[in-house]
Amino acid sequence: MSLPQFRLLRPRTLGEALDFLGKYSGHESAHTLPAQTSRGPDGRGRPSPHEHSRGRLSPQVPIQVIAGGTDLIPSMRQKLFEPEYVLDLRGIDEMRGIRPAADGGVAIGALTTLRAIETSAFLQQHYPVLTEAAATVASPVLRNMGTIGGNICLDTRCLWYNQSLTWRKGCGFCIKKDGDLCHVAPGGTKCWATFSGDTPPALLCLNAEIEIAGPSGARRIALHEFYTGLGDNYRKLQPNELVTRVFLPAALADYRGVYRKLRVRGSIDYPLAGVAVVVKRSNEHIDDARVGITAVNPAPVLVKGVREMVAGKALDETLAEAVGDLAAKTAKPLTTSALTPEYRREMIRVFTKRAVLAANN
Amino acid sequence: MNKELIELRVNGRTHEVAVEPSALLLDVLRQELGLTGSKRGCDDSSCGACTVLVDGVAMMSCALLAASCEGQEITTIEGVSEHGSLAAIQKAYGDWGGAQCGYCTPGFIMTVKSLLAENPDPSEAEVRDALSSNLCRCTGYNQMYEAIRSAVDAERKGIAFAK
Amino acid sequence: MTRVNGNFSIIGKPTAMVDAAEKTTGAGKYTDDFSVPGMLVGKILHSPYPHARIKRIDTSRAEKLEGVVAVAIGEDAPNPYGILPVGHDEHALALDKVRYVGDNVACVVAVSEAIAEKALELIDVEYEVLPAYFDPEESMKAETDLIHENKPHNLEKDYHHAFGDPEKGFAEADHIAEARFVSNEVTHAAMEPHSTLASFELDPHTGELGRLTVWSSTQVPYYLQHKLSLVLEMPMQQIRVIKPLVGGGFGGKSEVIPLEIIAAIAARTAKAPVKITYTREEVFWAHRGRPRTIIDLKTGVTNDGRITAVKARVVQDGGAYCSYGVVTILYSGALLGALYDIPNIQYDGYRVLTNKPACGAMRGHGTVNVRFAFESQLDELAAKIGIDSAELRQRNLLQPPCITVNGLRVQSYGLPECIEKTVERSGWKQRKGKLPKGRGLGIACSHYVSGAANSIIRSDMPHSTVNIKIDRDGGVVVYTGASEIGQGSDTMTAQIAAETLGCSLSRVRVIAADTDLTPIDIGSYSSRVTFMAGNATLRAADEVKKRIAAAAGKKMGCAAEDLIFRNDRVFSKNSTGSLSADALADKSVRPTQAEASVSGRVEGQILRGSLQQKRKEEGPKESMTFEEAVVAAIDFHGALTGTGSYAPPQDARGGKHKGAGVGPSPAYSYSAQVAEVSVDEDTGEVTVHKVWAAHDCGRALNPVSVEGQIIGSVWMGMGQALTEEMVWKDGMLMNPGLLEYRSPSSVESPAVEPIIVESVDPEGPFGAKECSEGSLAATIPAIANAIYDAVGVRLHECPFTPERVLAALRAKKNAKALNLTEGVDPTAPVSFREHGGALWFKGKGPERHAMDPARREAPAAGGAD
Repeated sequence: MSLPQFRLLRPRTLGEALDFLGKYSGHESAHTLPAQTSRGPDGRGRPSPHEHSRGRLSPQVPIQVIAGGTDLIPSMRQKLFEPEYVLDLRGIDEMRGIRPAADGGVAIGALTTLRAIETSAFLQQHYPVLTEAAATVASPVLRNMGTIGGNICLDTRCLWYNQSLTWRKGCGFCIKKDGDLCHVAPGGTKCWATFSGDTPPALLCLNAEIEIAGPSGARRIALHEFYTGLGDNYRKLQPNELVTRVFLPAALADYRGVYRKLRVRGSIDYPLAGVAVVVKRSNEHIDDARVGITAVNPAPVLVKGVREMVAGKALDETLAEAVGDLAAKTAKPLTTSALTPEYRREMIRVFTKRAVLAANN
Repeated sequence: MNKELIELRVNGRTHEVAVEPSALLLDVLRQELGLTGSKRGCDDSSCGACTVLVDGVAMMSCALLAASCEGQEITTIEGVSEHGSLAAIQKAYGDWGGAQCGYCTPGFIMTVKSLLAENPDPSEAEVRDALSSNLCRCTGYNQMYEAIRSAVDAERKGIAFAK
Repeated sequence: MTRVNGNFSIIGKPTAMVDAAEKTTGAGKYTDDFSVPGMLVGKILHSPYPHARIKRIDTSRAEKLEGVVAVAIGEDAPNPYGILPVGHDEHALALDKVRYVGDNVACVVAVSEAIAEKALELIDVEYEVLPAYFDPEESMKAETDLIHENKPHNLEKDYHHAFGDPEKGFAEADHIAEARFVSNEVTHAAMEPHSTLASFELDPHTGELGRLTVWSSTQVPYYLQHKLSLVLEMPMQQIRVIKPLVGGGFGGKSEVIPLEIIAAIAARTAKAPVKITYTREEVFWAHRGRPRTIIDLKTGVTNDGRITAVKARVVQDGGAYCSYGVVTILYSGALLGALYDIPNIQYDGYRVLTNKPACGAMRGHGTVNVRFAFESQLDELAAKIGIDSAELRQRNLLQPPCITVNGLRVQSYGLPECIEKTVERSGWKQRKGKLPKGRGLGIACSHYVSGAANSIIRSDMPHSTVNIKIDRDGGVVVYTGASEIGQGSDTMTAQIAAETLGCSLSRVRVIAADTDLTPIDIGSYSSRVTFMAGNATLRAADEVKKRIAAAAGKKMGCAAEDLIFRNDRVFSKNSTGSLSADALADKSVRPTQAEASVSGRVEGQILRGSLQQKRKEEGPKESMTFEEAVVAAIDFHGALTGTGSYAPPQDARGGKHKGAGVGPSPAYSYSAQVAEVSVDEDTGEVTVHKVWAAHDCGRALNPVSVEGQIIGSVWMGMGQALTEEMVWKDGMLMNPGLLEYRSPSSVESPAVEPIIVESVDPEGPFGAKECSEGSLAATIPAIANAIYDAVGVRLHECPFTPERVLAALRAKKNAKALNLTEGVDPTAPVSFREHGGALWFKGKGPERHAMDPARREAPAAGGAD
């Protein structure tokens, strides 16, 4: 499977990258959508039953950003993205690095590799939930390539979506790409593709913020505001914007943390369910605890009510189980990936219980 | 799409190649430079048969754009043999049955190279973890561990001898 | 002539494969690594529908695209073919119908992959969608819209065998177990995607396209040559098939795969060399893997643990074409025999067509799923009658040499020793039943053929032929059609030639699998190469050796029969002192470089061969170097070549009943395994800690390779047991890639302790038998039995994914009701589900899109709905 043809933009600085984005991402640009693109009544591309050659595409952003490339390149082979431009960030050194802040927090450049995060002594000491989560992403070689920014921005996944063009033609396409129905939750108009990054639940637990740079400068938002909860338009990022940095606050430093990942194979796999837990203890009782889950919803989700449930109490099996139940209620897995949804939800329960107990020890 | 001329440094040599911006490093290595040792085994960047070193770091050449690697030092399996003879790890893979059909072998050897560069005396658990980037369908991995252990020993003896 | 018995210089020594350096340096070439001048790229258009009639194909828009050279369609080569003579039901490119999502419709030839892919989108095909069949038991009820018109009820083939008196056998049993087992579909997933490069020469006499050369990733160059000849209507001798290095086969390259024919058709249409390499998804569509299988199994035993009868009804979900299907369904029944002594066997096998990619041969062809069922049920019975499960197996051993009730001849039989050794090494007696909670041990056995005694094309031709040529340089060139696919075929060939000729391995060069150069061999499948091509090599080498001995005996003034060939020397067994057989057989006294070579500098001139030798000659010799002997032989005979061939003996070819041709083999390998697992009772996750695997390979010609094959088989069995499964939804393969089809990675792969058992087969080369497949089948039930030992649940459906294990655990504990597996009980599966037994999808699934291939306007009577 060959990649679609595109022009490669290789900025050396962030400023240059933003200039490129400004120039080539606009819909008014002469290089935007191919003329043959038509839209269905709902604004989406719709394949006609008798037209098998693809001329009807979902609206495409004409520019795609590539960092590690481990997800985008396979997706481009499958023609999930056919951008006219690809903005290659690999040459921008200023976007790399783990920089402890004076107040005890840390700023992590979006291009910092997952490998660098996993092996950072500073992060291992102060934000262990993040290093644990990073260490489970894909495989060691893929972590040499994949970046924290890429893991945050990771496209949502679904068995009906992450397939070749030929395959998707066979199933009549889907809401997320080139089609108008969902094979996973039929009858609805919502896309349920699953967010499958490992680090975002950990980052959510840590109250992470991200910096988004755009034409009018940089803004900082809480990570949980970044995700929409929809499978198709899963993140709030304009085509002319870039995620540039991740900030972890000092207040959450030194929380104990654990990440547990459900996978069939011990390496390479995306999570089929993932649980991140951070716990702060004082003496025998819990001060604060937070649970983030992934791969069971269209967004990574922070489980609500955990702190209220456990704060001030001593943790025991029963309490851990109650937290597990709470997390399982938050999970809404569907048949977007391997293993049954019921099982994946059950594992959110079991893993949360285990992670809470482990983090408390 | 117009090709652009790029300079790729591969195995210590500089090549000027005209590539399409969308050309993958793997395809350029195989088709333009004739370095067919790196293999394509999948289309979803999962199998690792195309693993090369980029500035000494193991990466999958099927998930890298060739033009993006300009200015970086690429090492492929063809660059592993030392002074015209098999590197210890290559010899050991042959002796211990680490390679059967051999299709995944170049990728594995690149992964092992990068492991040993970072950690010259890895534990079995560390070896297992490192090898989990690559898929093999013949060996069940067991004999690779023996090969790596023997290569590590050979290297160590070699160093001792040199002293 | 004398062979030093049991004392070999090359056989039995751990040997790096002769092509190891090619593989570890990346220098070795696989098909996709080749290119020839003017080569174009071929890309195949696949059907998006599981079952549809092609009403019209219009390729004109595609042909107009700049860079497109040609578009081939079915009419360009309409002859049907198939690997079995009874199964010529495939067309390289569809003629009238497509029968699975991924079926081949057209092929674009273009200057680049990107352009060819673009052109695929410009081919207009009008389909009339037909009702499709996905579940074999439903498919068997079909009356209309048959997948192949000549196969009523979509039944490819059924067999009904009864050996002994099964009714009487069950009547004699004290205990009978009966259950349904389901084994889901798995595939080879060899690391190298299939690739074929086809190139025509221009004929100097006619000026037209002449001879065809095909480089292809095949296990059987000869079959490919044969089928190409059939489809292209060219004489076989005009077609040359070359097998470069092959990146794994496991059966997936053991038949003619569509791209191999399509590449040739495309090259003919485009009048230029064409290479097609499958994408990984196309590899999954080409498939030919292990079919989903339903096994209804009934076994009877007496109180003292004797098996009295076995009855099996097996239904295989064969996919849309015959492929090896008839053979698969026969193996499933035939290999109920020859492992244990079972006096009464009843077998009903059904190979059913469905609208999915064709299943075919995969490692352990036909035996694996039935073996899973049988060994699991045997374990249940052991528990029932209170006999240790290893002991139960020991009470049902065959007494070879013998002929089993279903006509299989068994001679060498290492199973008793295999059981004994695994039991001993695993600490079975001390540890079984005494491990901590959640941890357990399980035992199982298996066996496999060392090649089929009857080839698929019934004839009296030899199954293997090998030629050897030795020239004055003392180099031994072995020409064999056997196909190296990573299993060590070339190394085995070189070892046997070198051992027989008493020369060093480095003298031997193997030229293999090139139909212009090498004699016919029916390829690398059914574990036949060592036994058959090995025997042919042995015979060819013996013939050459006789000719050398005749000449050397003259020079040395002794009888040819008294000569020993060893360590690059020829000497008399009657010599004494430093020239005694013992002294010369010592490896340390190999000839020196000057001695060994008959070339060299004499009186300032470089002289070669006999000329030099004449100058050196001084009367009769006490011993000769190998090269001297070779030169003497060439001077004496004029040329030094030998040939050997192998065909299985008549008495090994099985019984006379319908279907008796499949199952017989000149020798069977045996395996016994103990698996140690632990089960997480909260998650259902199974961890395999270790597998002890004893395998009777007759004789281990190269222990490194034998161990590699045993470990690889066990590992692949573990994949099928725990993680691997092709998941279907309305004819769509949901996981056509290595990311979602999960073959195990290194972190969850267990330590495997291979234990070599050598029963020394009377007919195998140096006593050798198969070692590459037989071990696979035991692993799945060994793990299943270990899971039972660990947590007390008996799983009847594999793979034992965590949701299945957890569901079984929950059911056993009567714990919180939680339907983890959509109502399919992994301990007692009832049937396949519409989507193929996989558990990821609820019921019938969502309402279908108007153009969804599975949507049926009017459900067919008795159809898959």
